[in-house]
Amino acid sequence: MKNAFSTRLAPALATAALLAGCAQTPTHPDPRDPWEGFNRGVYQFNDKVDRAVLKPVAKAYTYVTPAPVRDCVHNIFSNVGDLWAAANSMLQGRGHDFVNTVGRFLFNTTMGVGGCFDVASANGARKIPNDFGTTLGVWGIGQGPYLVLPILGASTVRDGVGLLGDWNGNQLATVGRIDNVPLRNSLWGVEAVDYRASLLDATDTVDRVALDPYSFVRDAYLQRRAAMVLGRKAGDTDHLPNYEDEDDEGAPPAAPATPAPAVPGTGQQ
Amino acid sequence: MPHPFRFPFGPLLRRMFVAAAASLALGAPAHAKPDPNAAPQDFVRQVADQALAVLKQDPALKSGNIARINQVVDEYILPYVDFEKTTRLAAGRYWRQASEKQRTDLAQAFRGTLIRTYSGALTRTDQSTAVKLQPFRGDPSASDVVVRSQISQSNSTPVNVDYRLEKTPEGWKIYDLNVEGIWLIENYRGQFAQQISQNGIDGLIQALNQRNQ
Repeated sequence: MKNAFSTRLAPALATAALLAGCAQTPTHPDPRDPWEGFNRGVYQFNDKVDRAVLKPVAKAYTYVTPAPVRDCVHNIFSNVGDLWAAANSMLQGRGHDFVNTVGRFLFNTTMGVGGCFDVASANGARKIPNDFGTTLGVWGIGQGPYLVLPILGASTVRDGVGLLGDWNGNQLATVGRIDNVPLRNSLWGVEAVDYRASLLDATDTVDRVALDPYSFVRDAYLQRRAAMVLGRKAGDTDHLPNYEDEDDEGAPPAAPATPAPAVPGTGQQ
Repeated sequence: MPHPFRFPFGPLLRRMFVAAAASLALGAPAHAKPDPNAAPQDFVRQVADQALAVLKQDPALKSGNIARINQVVDEYILPYVDFEKTTRLAAGRYWRQASEKQRTDLAQAFRGTLIRTYSGALTRTDQSTAVKLQPFRGDPSASDVVVRSQISQSNSTPVNVDYRLEKTPEGWKIYDLNVEGIWLIENYRGQFAQQISQNGIDGLIQALNQRNQ
């Protein structure tokens, strides 16, 4: 994630993950995930690093900082990030989102005291998350194979390229412009911790509900990214998942699609 | 009751009255039982408001008591969820291969996971939590509809949660849930297929039951 970090450490991490990945063979191949063996290796590696370092640090941060301070830190980074999100909305031709996000940035920066308070959300102008991977998707570039990146986690080939764009467009254009190196690196450190802390609820939920956390995260990631590329259209009825079609193919009359009468009774024990 | 002449009982009474009125106002949604035969968006609002009202009144909530939230979900949300249909769709084509007993067992085993999934959206509930319904955009006469909502909290990003409902003879039932673009059933199909191809339907039931312990 950091400059020095990515040049020195990332290749070593990738090698370690690659070695770990060779031992795995997928049991139920998913066409979107041809590199599942490798990905699972990186996933396990990330999970170990997360449980040993990132999550404890994020938890300690959550423990020692009062919630209002945490919210403020989170909102400031989010507010700065809105500029790059707005740029992407423009690149995607989503003028409505662009205007809304720029409006959010101006409102939060002034009335929200430098972004500390998300007054725009409180007034109904919800954050519209956007990034360069989504822009590439809107431009018609397919997602490519699913890819788990060391430390950064779930991605695809397209979104990995998108991350490079995000790094240049967001981080290097904002915090990266600070000349004072210790200050700049500290800010990136805080941002990384804030990011992990903001995901604590989500990852705890995954731990509680996933049968296979790897597939759960992958399927959730791919669904979420597809919805982001579709944007507003994602909620239209023609983009709803159609579960029945597959259910009914094959032997239509044999299995009735309606719930068997015996089952509701069992739910009441 | 304090002695009326030595204590400023007027303000005290007023305070008691205000407190009683406030608790009535808070308690009221909990008593209004959701009506599955209402319009789908009204039904969802009633279900959500009832669960939120119960959670907000509960002191165990402040400690982030997951077990208690699960209990509230089980009691106040699950009755309005067609978890049998959720299970059937998540199992996809494998549902046809399952025996009647396996179907029942699978739905029962998946129920615990569903409860934990629904309560995952409520773990951060506090007094400022509110559910706002988005304007209904579907066909009101359809029997399969999507109701959209936003769960908001003070000074944090609201979460988009959509509910997919089906009209049954007993009225509307929720059968799928979308959190920020991720559909619940869609997200379990791969895991179900993976488990079944590895260990069969009984293996899946076993794996789900293990998670319930």
